[in-house]
Amino acid sequence: MPIEMTVNGEARRSAADPMTPLIDVLRDEFHLTGAKPVCREGFCGACTVLVDGEPLVACLTPAALVEGREIRTVEGLSAGGRLNPLQTRLVEHDAVQCGMCFPGMVVTLTHFLAQTPRPSRDQVRAALTGNACRCTGYERIVAAALDVAGV
Amino acid sequence: MSVDAVMEFRRRDAGDKLTGRTRYTIDRGAPGMLHAAVLRAQVASGRLAKLDTSKAAALPGVRAIATAADAPGRVGIGIADHSLFVVDRVRYVGEPLAAVAADTPEQAQAALEAIKVEIAPLPAILIMQDALAPGAPLIHPEWEDYKILLEGGARAGNVAWEATAVRGDVDAAFARPDVRIVESTFRVGRQNHMAFEPRAAVARYEEGRFHIETSTQVPWTVRNATAGFLGVPASQVRVTVPPVGGAFGLKFDVAIEPFAALLAKLSGRAVRLVNSREEEMLTCLFRENAEIRIRSAVTPAGEIAGREAVVLMDCGAYGGEQIFLTTMTAHTLGGNYRVGASRLVSRAVYTNTAPNGAFRACNGVYNTFALERHTDEIAAALGMDPLEFRRRNVLGDGDLGATGQKFEAEVLRPMLERMEALRAAAPPRRQDDERLYGRATTVGTWFVFTGPSAATVNMNADGSATLVTSGVEIGSGSMMQGLPQIVAATLGIQPEDVMVRQADTDAAGYDVGVGGGRQTVSLGAASLQAAQEVRGKLLAVAAQMLDALPDDLVMQNGRIEIAGPNGAGFSIAEVAAQAQALVGPVAGTGASTRKGVPSMPGCAVGHFIDALDIPVFAVHDCEVAVDPETGHVEVLAYRVVQDVGRALNRSAIGGQIQGGVVQGLGYALHEEVSIDADGRIRQNGFETYRVPLAADVVPVEVELYEGAPSLGPFGIKGAGEVPILNVGASVACAVANATGARVQELPLTPPRVLALLLGRQPELDFPHISPRWDDNLLRPHDQPT
Amino acid sequence: MTASPSFYAASSLSAALDALAERGPQGAPLAGGTWIMRAPIRHEPLKPAYVGLDGVPELGRIEETDGILSIGAGVTHARLAEAVAGRPELRVLAEAAGRSANPAIRRAATVGGNLCTTDFAAADLVPALLCLDAEVEIASRGGTERLPLAAFLSLRHSLEPGRLLTRVFVPRSGAVSAHARLPLRKAGDYPTAIVSLSVTRDTAGRIAQARVAVGSVETVARRWTRLEAALVGTPLCGEQAHRAATELADEFAGRDGVEAPGWYRVSVLPVLVRRAVIALH
Repeated sequence: MPIEMTVNGEARRSAADPMTPLIDVLRDEFHLTGAKPVCREGFCGACTVLVDGEPLVACLTPAALVEGREIRTVEGLSAGGRLNPLQTRLVEHDAVQCGMCFPGMVVTLTHFLAQTPRPSRDQVRAALTGNACRCTGYERIVAAALDVAGV
Repeated sequence: MSVDAVMEFRRRDAGDKLTGRTRYTIDRGAPGMLHAAVLRAQVASGRLAKLDTSKAAALPGVRAIATAADAPGRVGIGIADHSLFVVDRVRYVGEPLAAVAADTPEQAQAALEAIKVEIAPLPAILIMQDALAPGAPLIHPEWEDYKILLEGGARAGNVAWEATAVRGDVDAAFARPDVRIVESTFRVGRQNHMAFEPRAAVARYEEGRFHIETSTQVPWTVRNATAGFLGVPASQVRVTVPPVGGAFGLKFDVAIEPFAALLAKLSGRAVRLVNSREEEMLTCLFRENAEIRIRSAVTPAGEIAGREAVVLMDCGAYGGEQIFLTTMTAHTLGGNYRVGASRLVSRAVYTNTAPNGAFRACNGVYNTFALERHTDEIAAALGMDPLEFRRRNVLGDGDLGATGQKFEAEVLRPMLERMEALRAAAPPRRQDDERLYGRATTVGTWFVFTGPSAATVNMNADGSATLVTSGVEIGSGSMMQGLPQIVAATLGIQPEDVMVRQADTDAAGYDVGVGGGRQTVSLGAASLQAAQEVRGKLLAVAAQMLDALPDDLVMQNGRIEIAGPNGAGFSIAEVAAQAQALVGPVAGTGASTRKGVPSMPGCAVGHFIDALDIPVFAVHDCEVAVDPETGHVEVLAYRVVQDVGRALNRSAIGGQIQGGVVQGLGYALHEEVSIDADGRIRQNGFETYRVPLAADVVPVEVELYEGAPSLGPFGIKGAGEVPILNVGASVACAVANATGARVQELPLTPPRVLALLLGRQPELDFPHISPRWDDNLLRPHDQPT
Repeated sequence: MTASPSFYAASSLSAALDALAERGPQGAPLAGGTWIMRAPIRHEPLKPAYVGLDGVPELGRIEETDGILSIGAGVTHARLAEAVAGRPELRVLAEAAGRSANPAIRRAATVGGNLCTTDFAAADLVPALLCLDAEVEIASRGGTERLPLAAFLSLRHSLEPGRLLTRVFVPRSGAVSAHARLPLRKAGDYPTAIVSLSVTRDTAGRIAQARVAVGSVETVARRWTRLEAALVGTPLCGEQAHRAATELADEFAGRDGVEAPGWYRVSVLPVLVRRAVIALH
């Protein structure tokens, strides 16, 4: 039985087995390769996507659990290729290096800043507990997020 | 005419990377592509008795199976000791036995399970102490038959390579009546790069040639090694490299590419092979574990009269990068300080464990840890302030290194002064709690791995330029910032107007690869030369067009004009178009390679590099708080003064320093690799291998030290590799200072620190390192074969 | 090749219990999926059939009646942390739920999953609920039963198929509580050791009743009754509690793990006891 969901505003139907990780449905079936399968154990956060507006790790979310739900991936956060305020600040802060963690970072932080418009530095760091980065040493990412918030 | 390539140019790939549009190798595929998987040995040592693929080959969807018979060649560094598949002897858990390509990943996995394997177990040697024991079983019984690729290293049995550096009369120095002898021992574990993108490749076999798209730092090594394994001419292999999702040295060697290539040829289809995270953990080319014994003879005034050291580096089951890295001991453990006489031996030792490899600043990281902790132990023995000891002894103008290289200019001393000013500017961080506080300032010596690079610059008639190199975009600033800045500055155009082509061995000439801090230096030198040729050609055409002499022209802001106010001129696009019409499209080529700075004859034996073309220095300072009840170390502040020669892009360098220091904090505090009794790496992913997270780090205070001499273009040095160099050292020295404990090991995880504080940790004892330095050598230093 | 697992999305508790009964040993419940989906890393096979609990409304409720807080097994860590925030008596629960793993996992992982995963020694909710004297409700097609959490922990590995942990009951008691966990990284990890503490005080401010639970040190969390007894009648003093814990800590046999040796987990217990006591002030 196909699994139906909305992905970045579009109704989609997946033929995947119900226990297939959502990350594989998005990448292999829908060719949305923004989210990255890096650890496949919910610790690195590179596959983070919004499910009904909440950031979840797509590697540990079975496809069956997103039946009827609305999914937004990093590709869906920048309509028409226009960067959102967080992405713009990350460019300005020269924060990006290899870039593999950023699809997840951007999803997590975009959601976090919407929920917590004026965060402290420690709150931003705590929000990133599930988003590892091996290149940057985090500080510019944190600084860009604080910059978006104007704090 | 001088041009200024210093800019704050932002990465052009940031937007795509932030919106998920960048397509790394793992994001690529081809219609009709097959999925590959590798069958790996589950024992550390054994004889392969049977490998029967017939049942697997008959399974649905299985298109090709490759085994040792398909890959006859051996490759390696220094010695060709490594075959692609197990031939008859398994040497580590995870060693490849066969590779399969099938229509789906599930079918490929099913085929692996259907391959019948019988391995007769042999005793496994998992630690260097056992490998060096008298009468130890040989991991490579056929070691004498291997082809030697570089002469000079001593080898025998389980010692894959031995390099020595001897300068001066060390025995006499140690026998001086006025010296006291300080001896220290150290041990470090392995470090996993945890690059987010696993090693991955998509291969095709087209028109009688292999085309491999791969996540690598070294397209030419992949080209040549793949050909070597498969026994085909290197010209039959083409390697292209999409953006790489993290590398840090992990991808500085051939990896899984030959499997994909072989299966593509056998199946006639495109083949995709991506390591699982578990495979990445199991077969990571780690920064090697090492054991170090170092002794110094020092006078009461703090002069280092003599020094000797033995460094054991675990290369795992095959020599690989460690063979080369035996070289770097002389330049790192033998660096930093002026030493009267010294003798150093660095031994790469085989064990039945996963092969180790290269990792950002490689063995420099732990040799610096050992040297700086040893230095603090010397200072303590002399009752001298460790900073004062360093001020007196750091390498200065005209001082000799361990191989007799003469260092130029005063660099480390003024850098230390800068650090002291930084330290003085902020009070030590303390909180009102029961923790133990400490700090340390350390120095480090590293280098730029120069060597061959090539570049072509094509000038387009629209005023833009295309830079063609074998450089790879791995996230450092070189391809996106440094190189376009160099070309743009030379041509008087904007860096936005310089396209940088992704690496393609069919399009650009040989390159050593992206690593060793070399890309902006070596590719930069080649790119500069290529751009200068273009510049000369354009100026010549413009001179004709303007009826002027080329020397009277200026080339800037997209125009070539006669110098002076209101000088007539043309846009560069107009000149380029005119040149194209007159003589054809304008292009320039450039090349660079090692300069070959001299060492002292006879000092270095078995070395790949006798002297450093471009030394790079670093001074770090770290403040820590140690919880004596739980062993947790918190880094409170971190400062770096880094010798960059000249900073082309301060923001890009700052990003490398923050990122490199944090990787070093992981090495110093969190990242542990352990091997179980069966020889299997115990850490299997991000849960058990702990990289630093956002709340574990501090903003690094950075000061770039400019003006030290450098052979690099514009006087630059590599800036991305060295930031990790003395982090382990700084943290270890700071923890030792905070606790008074004798820190001998990294990483300083909470259990290890608590064990140290509770006296549960016995002092290191290396029965396999002889107290007599000469007894550690396979053959005397002055009797090379 | 084995067939991929089937999945049945239950929309009511009775449908879920029916489905689990019908599938018997072939089936298992799946709520947030954060443990089950990691089966490949543990080299464990998936079950042939899963019964999804995500759409069962009864399991998602948090209610309070007659002084008893009732938490549905399908409540996520994130929702639980939010629901009990700001109540000193339940602070242990708020911290256990609000600090475990990482934010994305907390949004998916459920109370039921945390209590039912027998191989997960570092679960935060288990010691927290133990020190709150929680009970659990086990439902099956045949009916429901209620038993203390400690009793459930000792039989959970042999729970017959078709039985489902549906609710957790936390009696309100007027105590104050705290959760002291020790991850290896400051930023967060699975804790190497956990001390959950809940105490009531007499009019003189002395400890009248103490419940201490220790997690992650051994394979299953348990109450530390000898320490509880030692604390009764003492003032709320971190140092004194630390001393008492130091004397008694040798009753624990720490488990050796990839991340920490057993001795370490036991060594840090007194510190965690002190931190928990100080956090009560």
